[in-house]
Amino acid sequence: MKVTLNGQVVDAREGDTLLDVCRREGLDVPTLCQDDRVDPMGSCRMCLVEVEGQRRLLPSCALPAEDGQVVLTESEKVKRHRAVLLSMYLSDHELDQDGLPTERGTGNKLREHVLTHGTGPKLPPIEAPRQYRVDANPYVHFDPEACVLCNLCVRYCDEVEAVAAITLAGRGAGTTIATADNRDLMDTSCELCGGCIAVCPTGAMTEKAALGSDWREEEVVRTTCNFCGVGCQLDLHVKDDRVVRATSPEPGTTVNDGNLCVKGRFATEFIHHEDRLTQPLVRGEDGQLHPASWEAALEVAARGLLGVKERHGADRLGFISSSRCTGEENYLVQKLARAAFGTNNCHQCAAT
Amino acid sequence: MFGAGAMTNSIPEIRDTELMFVIGSNTTEAHPIIAMEMKRAKRRGAKLIVADPRKIWLSEIADLHLQIRPGTDVALLTAMAHVIVTEDLHDKEFIAAHTEGFEAVLESTRETTPEWAEEITGVSAEDIRLAARWYATTELAGIYYTLGITEHSHGTDNVYGLANLVLMTGHLGKYACGMNPLRGQNNVQGANDAGASPVFYPGYQRVSDPAARRYFEEAWGAPLSPDDGMNLNVMMKTLGEGMKGLYIMGEDIVLSEPNTTAIEEGLNGVEFLVLQDIFLNETARFADVILPAACFAEKDGVFTNSDRRVQRVRKAVAPPGEARADWEIICDLARACGYEMPHYEGPHEVYAELAALCDQFRGISHERIEAEGGLQWPCPSEDHPGTPTLHGDGPIKGKASFQGIAYRPSLELPDEDYPLVLSTGRTLYHYNAATQTRRSSGPLAKQPHNFVEMHRRDARKRGIADGDLVQVSSRRGTVVATVNVSPRMRRGCVWMPLHFPESNTNRLTNDAGDPVTQTAEFKVCAVRVEPVRGPVSVGEASRQQ
Repeated sequence: MKVTLNGQVVDAREGDTLLDVCRREGLDVPTLCQDDRVDPMGSCRMCLVEVEGQRRLLPSCALPAEDGQVVLTESEKVKRHRAVLLSMYLSDHELDQDGLPTERGTGNKLREHVLTHGTGPKLPPIEAPRQYRVDANPYVHFDPEACVLCNLCVRYCDEVEAVAAITLAGRGAGTTIATADNRDLMDTSCELCGGCIAVCPTGAMTEKAALGSDWREEEVVRTTCNFCGVGCQLDLHVKDDRVVRATSPEPGTTVNDGNLCVKGRFATEFIHHEDRLTQPLVRGEDGQLHPASWEAALEVAARGLLGVKERHGADRLGFISSSRCTGEENYLVQKLARAAFGTNNCHQCAAT
Repeated sequence: MFGAGAMTNSIPEIRDTELMFVIGSNTTEAHPIIAMEMKRAKRRGAKLIVADPRKIWLSEIADLHLQIRPGTDVALLTAMAHVIVTEDLHDKEFIAAHTEGFEAVLESTRETTPEWAEEITGVSAEDIRLAARWYATTELAGIYYTLGITEHSHGTDNVYGLANLVLMTGHLGKYACGMNPLRGQNNVQGANDAGASPVFYPGYQRVSDPAARRYFEEAWGAPLSPDDGMNLNVMMKTLGEGMKGLYIMGEDIVLSEPNTTAIEEGLNGVEFLVLQDIFLNETARFADVILPAACFAEKDGVFTNSDRRVQRVRKAVAPPGEARADWEIICDLARACGYEMPHYEGPHEVYAELAALCDQFRGISHERIEAEGGLQWPCPSEDHPGTPTLHGDGPIKGKASFQGIAYRPSLELPDEDYPLVLSTGRTLYHYNAATQTRRSSGPLAKQPHNFVEMHRRDARKRGIADGDLVQVSSRRGTVVATVNVSPRMRRGCVWMPLHFPESNTNRLTNDAGDPVTQTAEFKVCAVRVEPVRGPVSVGEASRQQ
């Protein structure tokens, strides 16, 4: 298939939307409600383009590419539409002192679009009669004033995580995201995967623990989740030598495709927990554990293990390595068992 | 069998498959992100067959749920093989080209009719036929399983049974098919790859092979033992007698291993125990020395996931107090024991040493992962792109062999004294010994303490209501838990998670195991459930036991 994009003839594949073609060609068509993991909805109207022979602008995220289409993504008509649309968004959005959408979470796409594409005439602010509700769940914070009702969180919850815990509720300007009966999230089918936070384009959904943390001051370290065997890639956000939040890398870039579960995204509290062991302990004559220096503790450990080898032979020693630790560490434990002690009694929980 | 214990295919392929046969895996809770791929495949029109004694979440969206009695997998799998053979649905070309020993399957499945299996499994003969036909006649069909297959006294036979189905239908060496064990821990694949195994050096080179032994003796500059070591299950059985000293890194054996009481008695007889961990766990009570370690966010290295993908772990924050990375501690401990461990500059040098010794990892290095992202082994050279799908040109080593298997009942079946079958497992909100998740607010709020899932009729018969405290007893011990009357359960079966030290489910489980792997039968043991009277909390009641 061939499509003419802004005067250039380009290839399109079976099943492509116009947005797919634009992105492959490196064109920056703005979106709010689009995510490859859910069906297109075409609700945010940001990605509208001009198609020859069509009276109205059409949403490129939902429009199948067809052979011979002639498409304009940067025509005057498209630009005028974007500016007016962004003005309408601004009239119902929390703004900072510069009149720009407030920054939250890990950024605000609406703000970026306003900065890139500009706005039309300023419209009077809308006083929306939305219901506020404080939700007792420990992780997900929602601020309706920053929500653009793109419905991505609701669609992700339904189509990807498939628990359908949240929904659009209310009518007209009062429309917002809610749960059935306005129940607390903990009393719904929600599994706390936090996908709603990850897909939210404006930061209306954000991590409670990171509220108030400026994401530009956070250092991001890409690592691998330490729970199950899927190997999800995880971005740890660090500030003052503490992990303040964990996010998923962009969809389509890693094995987890932008997804995380409750453990990967939220169960990081253990890292800085007060129960962490902070110094070596050696059991004394009194049967109690006492703090010791590293040198002393390693000396006692070595003497103890060598003593067992002397008294009973190396094959009475067992080295239990860990499938929670790194590959390098497992390599070193088996080397310790085999080369330093001369036994093959080395294993970990793969025994099951 | 064919190749090593790893997924033959890649996780992202699941979304494109046409049929998923999920058996012994509660994927939405144990591997939530793989479950998302399964949900995506289902939305795209793939068929889903789930075999599980519980009505797990996936069974709700499945085209076919085979709600088998716990421990009867071999009967189900041999009956499916019977159907495939008798209805002439097997892939004769693939069998001739890539396998050997098909006669053994023909022989062992002659009598295993769906009607016979219906008696044993409780699944109707018609459903077994349907499952077999769907699986055999769908082009892209993958099998996905976890510990619901292996944690049985016939776990090896279960795996053989699945491998037979894969081989006879030729669902191997192709995109979005294969035989896919979903590994339980972040790096269980990598730990095995690195040689933390009693029978394998790094890279699955056999300890019993004299040439391999000489190779590693030279590499490490030390004489090595020619004898296979004890695996973890055997070590646990001989604590205090065969096992006199233990070094344990990052595992809570008291909470994780079956038959806790026997483990504790054994540990009392161990002369010396070194424990290296990030928290004081249940095993710490028996330790002579405790070495504080860094957690995953505080060190560098690699984890290898279920689909053989070697990915980086990067240091984000400093460890607390004097805690140090495990790799540094091990090196210092080795030196204190008189072995000259090299002075590695960092984990990248350790990985380079490991990779240089193993053909399948030779092309992988920290530098390459840094530049290209995760790499899937086998990756034999620096210009090799890695291997998303195994066995693309036929099974790794010569021809794959079929294994004749026969159904055997589980070792401990219900009787008058212990009339219920207990299976155990993991929940979405907690992770194994739960030292990490029980210190997280969400999991704690969702699941603060131990529970037992039970069918409503089994509960009513005992005068138990949802939320009541009950005492669950097996021949090995008793724990107290809250009853969760659940529509997920089969009658006669109960289920408990393994995450709670103060109500340790492994006091109940049976440490009798598979004859080949000695893997314990965590999924089937006989218990009885009785109401607890009086005002007492789960924690208190358990401590009084």
